[in-house]
Amino acid sequence: MLFGAIAAGLVFGLYFTLVGLGLNLIFGVMRIVNLAHGDFLMLGGFAAYFLFYLLGLHPLVAAVAVLVVFFLVGLPIYYIIVPRLLLARDSEMLSVILFFGLSQVIEALTAIVFGTTERSIPGRVLGTGPVIILGQRLPSAWVFGAAVSSVAVAMVYLYLYRTRLGMLTRAVMVSRDEALATGIDVHRVSAIAFGIGIALAGIAGVFAPFMLGSVTPSIGVQINVAAFAVIVVGTLGNPLGTVLGGVIYGVSLMLMQTYLSSWAELLPNLLLIGVLLIRPEGLLGRKTRRA
Amino acid sequence: MLSRILLLLPLVWFALAGGAHAQAVPSEIKIGSLYASSGPFASISMPVYYTLKMWVDQTNAAGGVFVKPYNKKIPIKLISYDDQSSTATAATLYNQLITQDKVDLLVADSGSVLTSVAVPIAKEHKMFLFDVSGTGGTFFTADNPYIALMADPVSTIWPKYIADFLDSTGVAEGIKTVAILYATNDFTTTQANAVRGFIQAAGKLKIVYDQGVPTTTSNYTVLINNIANANPDAVLHLGYAGNDIAFFRNLQDSGQKFRFVFGIYPGEEQDELTKTVGVGGLTNIFSYVPPSSYHYTPNFGPTLEQFHAMWDKAHLPGVEFGANAIYGYMTGLVIERALATTESLDQMAIHNAVFGLSGKLTTMDGSFALNEMGAQVGEITPLGQLQADGKGGLKLVVVYPPELVNGKPIIGK
Repeated sequence: MLFGAIAAGLVFGLYFTLVGLGLNLIFGVMRIVNLAHGDFLMLGGFAAYFLFYLLGLHPLVAAVAVLVVFFLVGLPIYYIIVPRLLLARDSEMLSVILFFGLSQVIEALTAIVFGTTERSIPGRVLGTGPVIILGQRLPSAWVFGAAVSSVAVAMVYLYLYRTRLGMLTRAVMVSRDEALATGIDVHRVSAIAFGIGIALAGIAGVFAPFMLGSVTPSIGVQINVAAFAVIVVGTLGNPLGTVLGGVIYGVSLMLMQTYLSSWAELLPNLLLIGVLLIRPEGLLGRKTRRA
Repeated sequence: MLSRILLLLPLVWFALAGGAHAQAVPSEIKIGSLYASSGPFASISMPVYYTLKMWVDQTNAAGGVFVKPYNKKIPIKLISYDDQSSTATAATLYNQLITQDKVDLLVADSGSVLTSVAVPIAKEHKMFLFDVSGTGGTFFTADNPYIALMADPVSTIWPKYIADFLDSTGVAEGIKTVAILYATNDFTTTQANAVRGFIQAAGKLKIVYDQGVPTTTSNYTVLINNIANANPDAVLHLGYAGNDIAFFRNLQDSGQKFRFVFGIYPGEEQDELTKTVGVGGLTNIFSYVPPSSYHYTPNFGPTLEQFHAMWDKAHLPGVEFGANAIYGYMTGLVIERALATTESLDQMAIHNAVFGLSGKLTTMDGSFALNEMGAQVGEITPLGQLQADGKGGLKLVVVYPPELVNGKPIIGK
């Protein structure tokens, strides 16, 4: 059971890497807390649901469509909200309140338009039959989710470390003021990062019906709690630390389910408290974030 | 002096009686209720709210509800607030309904979790609680006359037919071991305790796995594999609709097979579960047979067919027809009958009127019968199985109790 739980946790944790990746990228670049992150993920799930049932689109195709559309949606949201937010004395705190409001609006509108019932896509769409890893029978959809997450992490890595725009993004992450002083178009760089963050949430949402069973307008809050645990463990502001956070979250969750199932709900909070008390800068620490 | 007083007495009596009468006839009957438009309980709450409102609208269109003490029909005002599936918000709003809105009748939100906070508040304010579907066994105590369960049977007896079926047909088919996986909330914990007790009392089956998980659990793959390691013949999963969706999807995707698998919501909310899990994932799953799938003959209110037609005509957005849709309307019917027989709008008089219906009222939900503590004991929901209907869909057949059986159970090899 132990090795099976670890294997399942690794695969499940890779998906939660994708869940936290966009949130961490946005925080790392803009120092704002996007509390509507879980709601954008939920919208990705609804988009995949309707694309599947109305147009017959395979979730992988839907993921590409969601990537493009959510990225484009993220750009105007950035320009409407973030520049004004960053003028505030305590933009980080203000962002929590503002995006909480946005989260409530998105949830309410989705509930009004689509109703409150659970929506899902048949698991067989991503392959029939389980995949056996270390004796653990895992749904093939989980492996798909983990694979897409791995690709997303690789793409973010390539973007940050192998492109000029990525280099500028890292410069903004280190110091927004210095980046501005050196002539970097900070808003353009940030808007693109914001769009990518929203798009990553959307892609994670496409796979939410498979990984979480179903989506409802209200899943955003629960997703946010898990996503925050992942990025705080993996180091807040370090997108690639999210991988470590996701894997730790996934493995811990599966071990809790195996040995202390009634207490599994506490896990995200326990991880948050533990890391904040012992190593507040996250497991990868400040040094990596500034690389 | 005495003669003057005697002369004035009739005038005083007339003024008091007349004035009191004018004040006592209310312009409307205020019914307070909560609903959850979002959150994990929205899918079981909104159908209840919509159909309670449907009953209110229909009643008002007919001139109002007949209230016996005033011998006339009085319009109903439904005051409802959104608790967003939060017990903290619900507690505040229940208090607001009682103390600020001063409602005449209080209706709880759907499900045990959101009802759990209403029970002590109603008791404290001596306000009778129309408990729609909060079946938690702890809600019903000898010292609390201010509650009655409307629709579902109380969870302490609800799962009896599961245990009875396993102990009889199951044992005959070679089922020897059982796994119980339940969500840790008032509703399903009580169900788990009850079914565990029934199984242990009979002593014919061995429980080899017995675990609770948080109600927020949305992935069951590892849990299912752990259950498989315990090698049970029968698996009982007791959770809310969201739990069932995740559980049965993961069960199908994991490829694990068990001879007998039970879930609450494949039957309770068949349309919703079929859409989200798929026919393949629910074929031969055992579940309760709710009133939305079984035709009782009512002596008051519409039949199931008539009610379903009303539902279809209403075009309610984003909610599926299921047991909870019936529960909301059925609560309205109980209120209607109670107001037609109550001696006053005093809360103990309401209590007496509701309890007076016990054993006499039959709706599309079956017979309405309460025990002395207000727990619903009218109909123990039959045990059924979702079987292929030959047209690519599923039909829910009753497999227990024997007097209601309309299909033969299929138990895996």
